[in-house]
Amino acid sequence: MSNEDKFDVIIVGAGPAGSACAYTLAKAGKNVLVIERGDTPGCKNVTGGRLYTYALEMLEQGLFEEAALERRVTHEEIMIISGDRAVTIDFNQPGFNPDSGAPMSFTVLRAVFDEWLAAKAEEMGAIVACGIKVDQLIEQNGKIVGVIAGEDEMYADIVIAADGVNSFMAQQAGLIQDIVAKTVGVGVKEVIELPAKTIEERFNLKAGEGAARMILGCTEGIHGGGFLYTNKDSISLGCVFMPGEAAQHKKSVHEIFQDLKLHPAILPLIDGGETVEYSAHLVSEAGYRGIHPRLYREGFLMIGDAAGFVINTGYSIRGIDLAIVSGIAAARAVIAHGDNLAAVGPNYMQELIHLKLIPTMKAADGYFDILETPWIYDKLPNLANDVFNNLFTVNGEVPQRMKDTVMGAIKANGLSLWQLLKLGIKGVKSL
Amino acid sequence: MPLVVVCYKWVLDEADIRINADLSIDLSKAKGKISDYDKNAIEAAVQAAAALNGKVAGLTFGTADAKPSLKDALSRGMDEAWYINEPQASQADGAGTARVLAAAIKKMADVSLIICAEGASDTYARQTGPRIGALLDLPVVTSVGKLEISGNTLIATRVLDDCLQKVKVELPAVVAVLPEITSAPIPGLKAVLAAGKKPVTELKAQDLGVDLTPKSRVTEIKGYMMDRKNIIFNEGETAERVNNLVAALRKEGVV
Repeated sequence: MSNEDKFDVIIVGAGPAGSACAYTLAKAGKNVLVIERGDTPGCKNVTGGRLYTYALEMLEQGLFEEAALERRVTHEEIMIISGDRAVTIDFNQPGFNPDSGAPMSFTVLRAVFDEWLAAKAEEMGAIVACGIKVDQLIEQNGKIVGVIAGEDEMYADIVIAADGVNSFMAQQAGLIQDIVAKTVGVGVKEVIELPAKTIEERFNLKAGEGAARMILGCTEGIHGGGFLYTNKDSISLGCVFMPGEAAQHKKSVHEIFQDLKLHPAILPLIDGGETVEYSAHLVSEAGYRGIHPRLYREGFLMIGDAAGFVINTGYSIRGIDLAIVSGIAAARAVIAHGDNLAAVGPNYMQELIHLKLIPTMKAADGYFDILETPWIYDKLPNLANDVFNNLFTVNGEVPQRMKDTVMGAIKANGLSLWQLLKLGIKGVKSL
Repeated sequence: MPLVVVCYKWVLDEADIRINADLSIDLSKAKGKISDYDKNAIEAAVQAAAALNGKVAGLTFGTADAKPSLKDALSRGMDEAWYINEPQASQADGAGTARVLAAAIKKMADVSLIICAEGASDTYARQTGPRIGALLDLPVVTSVGKLEISGNTLIATRVLDDCLQKVKVELPAVVAVLPEITSAPIPGLKAVLAAGKKPVTELKAQDLGVDLTPKSRVTEIKGYMMDRKNIIFNEGETAERVNNLVAALRKEGVV
């Protein structure tokens, strides 16, 4: 093994986790190689998406100012669809975009953002090699010591798997099994181009400001939901479905998604736009429970989606920020304990707690149970729309009492007050 | 040691170029890449250098946007790269381009073979190879589908419309190769890493004393769309519809 074939760290995958990790390591003077399968970082990515800025601030203060970001999110929206009706809650908080300091979150287009972040890591001195697929890990005396790509072997003290959900590297390392359908959703997404001004008019936005919307009730009862993010001059619209239920459904995932696009409350938002991208990907859905039981072995760490760091609360989805934080955690562990490889893994776990990633995921764990409730994907959206329907119906008849309206709607949707109370109690208890 | 020079061009990826409804061209989303045909030419140069027991120098003339091409090009097996970084490159015509490339080649030692692709994937003007040959007073063979080198002799197989022509030349020479000359393998990890350490010579056109004033200028780029008549023959019985279709085709003079 010559010196040229040996790095301090090899990172597999140039997504936010891999690049944040490489940035931190290279800044500390480590010799880092990032290997990316796509021809450019981010070109294989599907995420919606939104980036919570605190993670970039953790990486390097002020970095967000030059980052390739789309719009500062000031409108947080929840849309509940049933039939051709829709209830939309729009929480407008200009304070999420303060005059000074970092806005709380930005919408991002990953093909642009990932390429930018990888370039920043390169500026720090990391080497990013694109268009190369890692085929295998190299194991010696029970330790991971390098990777094989094609005919080439490359060695490192530590190999870090940042290769996303269904991590092939982690499978190779024997830390995870092949994917379990129950723990992942299948996401489809379109990027629909529209002029910036049109987007701002349709979503009531000031220039540069953006909306993030979660959509419930758009999956024909399948466990899942929709999302919509306004970018600079495009809209990312998508749906996530549990694959098991989707497979048994009479309509394909694609058809249900097309119906969503034609929904009377969605179509006017995207009308006249041009779809410039259509993609599908897996997304980890199990939250805290989806974190793999072992995230390291000697010479090997898992970060980002590969480790299972995604939070879905039903009203927001987090993944990119957690990926960046986990990348920083791994880098810090390597920097602190590079001379004692056995200590890197345990220290990484401590850093994940110290940087509040694991505690955050644990705190959001209860949402998983609530989101497991099957009727929240069809009956509950219908109930919500029924209640509003009765509330706003004025036709000269004597209006029903509010209590009767609600009870009638609950009954008409095949639900009971008891079921709703139970969900409420579960919510209060688990969150 | 004999040197094989391979010229390549950094072009916009045609997959990202969009034609607007008014037929204007939208290049704003287009990323750069090494012209696809040039990737085959680079591999042909690597193989030729092996046969000559020599080395390969890549040579490109482009604007500052072409800088990312160097890493890609160098990972494809060449030993060094020459980059003429010139803002005027975007306006240059075939004559100017060839003058710059020929002037750069004159600065290189022991050049025994110059390889260009038959044309670039954006303009496909097919001028660079022949013009370099003329400027350097070297034999030129175009439309080459196969190269065989033995000693100082090169046998090039030219692919013509319906026949193959074998041409024998003594080196040094210029050849313009077709994509079928060889496949262009995807560079491996070590090749990509090694690319960053290979030498690059960066020059300006004025370092080479070349006048780039173009004699031919691009005045307009417009998309084109096939005009269709959009006639549907759906009246009457099948036989009648077929008759109407044939009559219409006769009228157009296409049958």
